[in-house]
Amino acid sequence: MKNQFRTDRLESKPKPRSSSTLLNPCSSSPPPPPPFCRRRRSALFTLPAAARLRAVDLANMLQSKSFVKKTKQGRVVKVVREHYLRDDIPCGAASCSSCDTAARRLGVDAAAILVVDTNVVLHQIDLLENPAIEDVVVLSVVLDEVKNKNLSVYNRIKTLCTNTARRFFVFTNEHHRDTYVKEMVGESPNDRNDRAIRVAARWYQSHLGESAKVMLITNDRDNKRKATEEGLNAETVESYVRSLAQPGLLDLVVVPSSGDVTMEDVEDLRPSKRKVIYSEHKPMSEITSGLRCGIFHQGKLRVNRYNPFEAYVGSESIGDEIIIRGRSNMNRAFDGDIVAVELLPQDQWNESKSFIADDDEDDNEEDVHLVPNSADDAPRNTNSTQSTVESSAASVSSRPVGRIVGIIKRNWNSYCGSLEPMPMPAGSGGVAHALFVSKDRRIPKIRIQTRQLGNLLNKRIVVAVDSWDVLSRYPSGHYVRTIGDIGDKETETEVVLIENDINTRPFSTQVLACLPPLPWSLSPDDLANPNRQDLRHVRVFSVDPPGCRDIDDALHCTPLPNGNFEVGVHIADVTNFVLPGTPLDEEASQRATSVYLVGQRIDMLPKPLTEDVCSLRADVERLAFSVIWEMTPDADIISSRYTKSVIKSCAAMSYVEAQARMDDSRLVDPLTVDLRNLNSLAKIMRNRRCERGALTLASAEVKFEIDSETHDPLDIGIYQIREANQMIEEFMLAANVSVAEKILKHYPLCSLLRRHPSPTKEMLEPLLRTASSVGLNLDVSSSKALADSLDNAKRDDPYFNKLIRILATRCMTQAVYFCSGDLSLSEYYHYGLASALYTHFTSPIRRYADVVVHRLLAAALDIAKLPPVFQDGPQLTGIADNLNYRHRNAQMASRASVELHTLIYFRTRPVDTEARIVKIKANGFIVFVPKFGIEGPIYLTAKGDKGADWVVDEVHQKVTKPGANISYAVLQSVMIHMEVVEPQPHRPKLQLTLL
Amino acid sequence: MEYVNPLTGFRVDGRRPNEMRQLKGEVGVVSRADGSALFEMGNTRVIAAVYGPREVQNRSQQVNSKEALVRCEYRMAEFSTGDRRRKPKGDRRSTEISLVIRQTMEASILTHLMPHSQIDIFVQVLQADGGTRSACINAATLALADAGIPMRDIVTSCSAGYLCSSPLLDLNYIEDSAGGPDVTVGILAKMDKVTLLQMDAKLPMDTFETVMELAIEGCKAIATYIREILLENTKQLEYRRG
Amino acid sequence: MVGLSEGEKHFIRGGIAQDLRADGRTKLQFRPVTVETGVIPQANGSARVRLGATEVIASVKAELGKPTVLHPDKGKVSIYVDCSPTAAPIFEGRGSEDLSAELSVALQRCLLGGKSGAGAAIDLSSLIVLEGKACWDLYIDGLVVSSDGNLLDALAAAIKVALSDTGIPKVNVSLNAETDGEPEVDVSDEEFLQFDTSSVPVIVTLTKVGKHYIVDATSEEESQMSSAVSVSVNRRGQICGLTKRGGAGLDPTVIFDMISVAKHVSQRFISLLDSEIAAAEAVMDE
Repeated sequence: MKNQFRTDRLESKPKPRSSSTLLNPCSSSPPPPPPFCRRRRSALFTLPAAARLRAVDLANMLQSKSFVKKTKQGRVVKVVREHYLRDDIPCGAASCSSCDTAARRLGVDAAAILVVDTNVVLHQIDLLENPAIEDVVVLSVVLDEVKNKNLSVYNRIKTLCTNTARRFFVFTNEHHRDTYVKEMVGESPNDRNDRAIRVAARWYQSHLGESAKVMLITNDRDNKRKATEEGLNAETVESYVRSLAQPGLLDLVVVPSSGDVTMEDVEDLRPSKRKVIYSEHKPMSEITSGLRCGIFHQGKLRVNRYNPFEAYVGSESIGDEIIIRGRSNMNRAFDGDIVAVELLPQDQWNESKSFIADDDEDDNEEDVHLVPNSADDAPRNTNSTQSTVESSAASVSSRPVGRIVGIIKRNWNSYCGSLEPMPMPAGSGGVAHALFVSKDRRIPKIRIQTRQLGNLLNKRIVVAVDSWDVLSRYPSGHYVRTIGDIGDKETETEVVLIENDINTRPFSTQVLACLPPLPWSLSPDDLANPNRQDLRHVRVFSVDPPGCRDIDDALHCTPLPNGNFEVGVHIADVTNFVLPGTPLDEEASQRATSVYLVGQRIDMLPKPLTEDVCSLRADVERLAFSVIWEMTPDADIISSRYTKSVIKSCAAMSYVEAQARMDDSRLVDPLTVDLRNLNSLAKIMRNRRCERGALTLASAEVKFEIDSETHDPLDIGIYQIREANQMIEEFMLAANVSVAEKILKHYPLCSLLRRHPSPTKEMLEPLLRTASSVGLNLDVSSSKALADSLDNAKRDDPYFNKLIRILATRCMTQAVYFCSGDLSLSEYYHYGLASALYTHFTSPIRRYADVVVHRLLAAALDIAKLPPVFQDGPQLTGIADNLNYRHRNAQMASRASVELHTLIYFRTRPVDTEARIVKIKANGFIVFVPKFGIEGPIYLTAKGDKGADWVVDEVHQKVTKPGANISYAVLQSVMIHMEVVEPQPHRPKLQLTLL
Repeated sequence: MEYVNPLTGFRVDGRRPNEMRQLKGEVGVVSRADGSALFEMGNTRVIAAVYGPREVQNRSQQVNSKEALVRCEYRMAEFSTGDRRRKPKGDRRSTEISLVIRQTMEASILTHLMPHSQIDIFVQVLQADGGTRSACINAATLALADAGIPMRDIVTSCSAGYLCSSPLLDLNYIEDSAGGPDVTVGILAKMDKVTLLQMDAKLPMDTFETVMELAIEGCKAIATYIREILLENTKQLEYRRG
Repeated sequence: MVGLSEGEKHFIRGGIAQDLRADGRTKLQFRPVTVETGVIPQANGSARVRLGATEVIASVKAELGKPTVLHPDKGKVSIYVDCSPTAAPIFEGRGSEDLSAELSVALQRCLLGGKSGAGAAIDLSSLIVLEGKACWDLYIDGLVVSSDGNLLDALAAAIKVALSDTGIPKVNVSLNAETDGEPEVDVSDEEFLQFDTSSVPVIVTLTKVGKHYIVDATSEEESQMSSAVSVSVNRRGQICGLTKRGGAGLDPTVIFDMISVAKHVSQRFISLLDSEIAAAEAVMDE
């Protein structure tokens, strides 16, 4: 925005323009005065071990760039920079004999070497990423321009260039002596850059001579013309792609959108109005001045997932969220864009209801989905959209309403989805215009052109957005690739993974090279390490879900002579194998967490580590990081110590096994005794936690039993929590808290902790409303008060308490990772656990946050040095943000996978079951199905019917049909029928109906 | 911001991380001074003038009459930086740098050969683009040599930093303001002794050693260059003498 | 500075009386002049002038500012001179303040005219960007690097050349409805506003030694002066400023005489400087 760097105006370093003149020459002429800069030593001192002087005594190896810049304070500053020219820059071609061989990237027998210009990179990045395009020279002037214009495309081209498998070479033309171009008087910066590209292309041609054909790829007519005039081979993108004779590639080519008159063919059936549908975005300068004076507000757009024509812009200048309603007010903004908003006049703030009666507002209904686990998952409803006209008095929108006047930063990506069904155009092989519907409801439909409509109609495809102008109802984009058939489990799973930005590519060879030599076994060096305590004699055991192969925690409980217990929690010593800065570490940091889908797990670390080397399996010696407490029988911690260790687990039990052992009173072997001791300690610890105010919220998690052959779900049921689960959980929590205290003490500014912000009054409102409608009074002043209220919420209905807890869960915020230096101590609080400090330490195999905490703890114990990344505050915050982002995505992917399998399960098994009403709406209500852990809408009136028969009572949360004397109240039990229907071909959905 | 381009390995101005900026030095620019020199490191341009040895002006300043009194003043011109400086002298930074230069040069001048006298070193910065401290010391060395004041050894100085995980030699203003560490080293060239070591920001110990060694290499390269200049100057003088 | 002996003083005075000065010049002859422009790339304009051993650097920097309430249609110019201690040890610390102030005031008087801005060498109204809201502030800085007499002439010449080298970036001002907000100023890289320096005056200092006056005195000659008159003359021969220094009194006729001599000498000096400037511009354009 501000601080725009003008493209440089280059001028050569001032040469002395001196002259010595004498007014009246005297007889003895004094020696000519030396000019100011005489001894020009243009030497670039390269210094390997011995300081060598390499004096390249050519004139003009140093240029100086100067340009005028405006600072934030509004001052105008002239900036002068040096610009060195070199003659040791390699060209990167394998066929070149004179340049440095180490830098060879371009192919030996390349048909053509392509030089691309900036707009080609910006607009056709999808095409460039396609493996069919190779041997491309990316000039540094192009890279700089791309970086200034679009950071995400820049990152993509950077990945392409660093990928050794692709033959993309970066040529620093700006610093090469022969290709450096100085700006001419009156030349615009863009012209200068274009000229630089042409000069570089020409240099390449002359440098490589006959051995290769150099081609300039540009869509700019002017540039192409000038290039051909200068004797270069120049082609547009389309003609080049055509020459490759790969028909599939042509689809990837983005057609420039100027003057595309035929776009309307796919429009609605209405007569083509060609009217301007959206208002123009205001120019940038007006936006910045408007922002400064306060007429416009800036913020990030968040589209309501359940109502794509409603969005929120969080604005700091207002301190509240601005609501944007309606297609025209949203003015072509996408979810995630940074936008500038103008507030509507206050009297219009409630009127927007009437705007919803716009055409084409389909799909306002909700789908069947999993029970939300937090407020982020739950559907958002503004106050007035769902209630009928009569109850409008109850909810006056006090939130500001506005409209979007400009987009400051676009957040365009590629999206998964499928094409809207349409008849095949007459005459195959031609270009068809199709509408792409994204799976993510927040994205509007996208218009694309394709030549393979037949192939794409029933497939899941990926489409990227290119532009959206004021005349077109929908944005324009282009096809990127096909994933697979709709409805096919593999395809849908892949869609889930793509949408949630989950990396499923196999680990690269560089990453695998970081693994220790396999098969791994304990070495004498490990034992000899003074920091590592030998605990192989201790009776260590682990309890995990059945079939678990990546065991990252184990416990022991030894009675001490003084009556106390020594309790130890041993965590897999992952940081012994994942060293900071290695490719393995970078990859793990990127992935940030293992993703658990139904029947599938996407690992954060390579399998040999997760399932063998780090996993604390039974009867093998393994390295661990241990937290050891001395506890009284009343679970009071007397002392705690931390050490790296070597353990040998004697048993790897499942929860069922452990529970069975504890319950069987006949068993008195040492292992069972230990289990029982741990269990009693755990119970005391748990009680203490609850007294402090830890919340026990009901989990509605669902488990699938998968058929081993077809991988289809065989059975679906609620996840059972047993005492054994709670026991392990308790000690993991205690370990996490202990470690959090320790690392914070040593590194108060750079510890990675986890916090859970308390829910606000607003978030708890739906819960309070529902509770009060059934006459329940909940005290939400603190977590303890809420926990107590929840405990006391009992009715005759045995399920009541669980239901209330489920409703409470959806009001909670998500817990997040953060860097301790970014927040104050009071903000470290974890609401759900009622703990002042918390972090993640106990699962380094599947969470990168734990790896980070392991490193912090090792440094705190002086076992290892703290890696330099911890010194860099912003980088650490970036890591925490990435962890949160990936964690969130992994959760959403898990849920989506479960929903997908639910659909598959019910496809062949329609079922009747009991359900509970959890929310009343105008035309029906939302029910929760306890047996399957899902919730969904039940419609009392058909879609489209305005529901005039049913009356909603907001206060009592019930809906009644007057006259027929039927009513439904919240938390009431109803019988429903669940079945998979296909309202549109290949678009199955689960439908709930009343019985 | 990428101070070292990850794709090409070049810095913002086209140098490699271990390359210095262009050096330029000239002797005898202020004719009225006993010794003077102009030194440029890239866009940083500095004039140093030496007056002395001469009679002590202010007896109270003289601590040890058996040795020469070395005084130094560092000044920046108002136009030397991008923003115009309102107070070019007397501010704390100038005082500190004056002190630093004085101590560095004092370590090298054979003060016991010139008792009861004072040597004034004045350094004027014409253009500042990072590394002014080093340029001043180098210019002062040249000026002292031009003035014929006996010294133990040539004092040279260079700065180095650590950005984007690589040690960078001879930071310019943009790299200096990046917030990374900045190590300035001054050495006695032939004797291989460090007389000046300053650093700001934080740096882990082993990285610090790498950066400091890089700076010392830079100093040695500058020393070679300075010797060349002095040699050629002497040849010129000899030539003029006939 | 080393003091002069009686013999030397006699020699200087005698030489002047006989129209043969110590370095061979006549009384009205300037030392060789060397002019360079663009020596400070960070400034909008700069110049370096050498008059024999006297060396001065002048730089012009332009910054955006608000015009004064009294003159909402004019920009602002301020001149400031600093004597570097490299020129002479006495300029160390605060020793140069008196001389710097004197030089600054003299230059201001010659170049900027009176309080109302009338008669200024630079057209201040050309510096205005938006009347009453934004204007350019010019900061002219002189730095004396080496001092061998006749600082004022060298500084004035340097300023004249620097001004000719100055380029002020073109500014686009966008107004918005708010009248009391800061106007949005967009700076373009295409310069410039070039000054017409043909009306910028030069200063010629006439130093009276004994009964004669000389032009362009060295510091040795200046030590023998009884008084000095600095006359600022522009190309059209008009006098833009007058300063008399030194203790001895002067007869008015002597002063008139000095002024006419100054006018005569200055014309040559001005044409010399102008040709230098033209040569510099020609080099720039090629």
